Amino acid sequence: MLESLDLSHAAKPSANRPPYLGFGLGLRPQHYSEILEGNWPIDWFEIISENFMVPGGRPIAILEKIRARYPIVMHGVSLSIASTAPLDMDYLASLKMLAQRIQPKWISDHLCWTGVHGVNLHDLLPIPYTREALEHVVSRVHKVQEVLGRTIALENVSTYVRFEHSEMTECEFVTELTRRTGCWVLLDINNVFVNAFNHGFDARAFLNGIAVDRVVQFHVAGHSDMGSHLIDTHDQLVRGEVWDLYRSALKHFGPVSTMIERDENIPPLAEVVAEVSHARFIAQEVFAAHHALAERR
Amino acid sequence: MTSRATIGLAALQDRFQKALLSGDDRILSIIPDSQRERRDVLLSVYRHAYSQRLIEFVENDHELLHKYLGDEAFREMAQAYAAAQPSHDRNARYFCVHLPQFLKTVEPYKSQAQISELAALEKALNDAFDAADALVLTCADLGRFRPEDWWRLTLKPHPSALRIDCQTNAPDIWLSLKEERKPPRLQNVAESTHVLVWRQDIPKLRLLGAEEAMMWDEAAAGTYFGTLCELVAIFGGLGGAEARAAGYLQGWIDSGLVSETELMGASQRLRTKPTK
Repeated sequence: MLESLDLSHAAKPSANRPPYLGFGLGLRPQHYSEILEGNWPIDWFEIISENFMVPGGRPIAILEKIRARYPIVMHGVSLSIASTAPLDMDYLASLKMLAQRIQPKWISDHLCWTGVHGVNLHDLLPIPYTREALEHVVSRVHKVQEVLGRTIALENVSTYVRFEHSEMTECEFVTELTRRTGCWVLLDINNVFVNAFNHGFDARAFLNGIAVDRVVQFHVAGHSDMGSHLIDTHDQLVRGEVWDLYRSALKHFGPVSTMIERDENIPPLAEVVAEVSHARFIAQEVFAAHHALAERR
Repeated sequence: MTSRATIGLAALQDRFQKALLSGDDRILSIIPDSQRERRDVLLSVYRHAYSQRLIEFVENDHELLHKYLGDEAFREMAQAYAAAQPSHDRNARYFCVHLPQFLKTVEPYKSQAQISELAALEKALNDAFDAADALVLTCADLGRFRPEDWWRLTLKPHPSALRIDCQTNAPDIWLSLKEERKPPRLQNVAESTHVLVWRQDIPKLRLLGAEEAMMWDEAAAGTYFGTLCELVAIFGGLGGAEARAAGYLQGWIDSGLVSETELMGASQRLRTKPTK
């Protein structure tokens, strides 16, 4: 059961599975100096891949210094895996080149599309959960994994509209995609919460439906409440209900590398590190309870 | 009305994109209302995010132009640019590459040349920030050439180096804004103001005199150092021409503006890269 503390179903060790990294943070330029000058309780950093797909200069130099001290994960925003436009092979070559230089623990992007006809809308746009879309995304994930020479992770995105002709749920779509491509899931806990509110489904049932052994990372972030809908803004503290859902996710999936995502209204590093520490505290609580229960058995 | 079975993924994406770019509402025919909100309000989340995000890209790259124009005029300008120039690059970093040209050719900005020139200066500094890395030449590296070979040396600029010519006092306006002083009144200048932007740890900008600008442009085009000295003599007078040329070169080396030299000859092509 989802809310039990029986972690026997949690992901088992596997030679191919990316390593468990602990509790990380999204690397943002506003924090470069503090990170390099301090000794913060952060286990790893996630970078926005595109920010470092530039010829050279300070971004790459800083990243080289940070990666000498911390594991790095690459997270892209422009793969556009569900777009019907042709895959951008130049983009993939550039992504691969960056990965060869940075040696990330894994590479992720989003289960969405970002534009067609040569235009990039710079947003994570919704897809219809149809068999046609599934076939399309499956074939593109296979191709991307072949080009990159590695298994990628895809993130569930926040959505504000759904399409009448969808033939399955988001959860069913993700499950089938991972089954057929072997790709990992970057499970954004806030996005599950936002979508559950916006589209009226049970967030915990969604978690229960995702294959435990495919989830390699959690995102936790803040959102804005517009009354009739929630928007995934990443501009404020993580809300209590999302922390509660994170707690449920840990109980269901077991230890999963967790990262705090903040993209707007970025506060001093100490404030986001406090959220990283809060995630760590919750995980310690959950797993301490699990061990106590196991000892009693 | 689109039937449930007829819209494929490609048609959906085409229609969704048109909804964001041109306000076409046909996509609403396949989007249901949510339990709490109307479909058009939900779609507007994407419309708002799209325009807001592009404006933010322009803001992030043009802090001083923003300060110069003020919030309202800057927002209008950014909206006009975004409407005329949808992003075609996967990297948001390059969304603004066409802004100086846009401002140079579209009214009401076209008739205020300082606006496009300020945008060009900020673009050059942004480009210098993440231009390719290269080792820079030192005087010791140059000393490895025999004096008699200097005339056939060519210089390779650092990849971040970029020259701009301004027809207004935009560089003065830029400097005032940078130093948080009141910018001077617009002046169109009779002679172009020559600007050189590059990165030496951080992006830098400095003005060049006409003679140094001419020598830099020729050097960047691959002209031999001996020919550069002759051009300096023609441009500024024979007296002290070699010393002036050597002085400019010394300044460039001290500023980390030269990344490589080549010694060109009929039977040899020696290249000196800087020592670490």
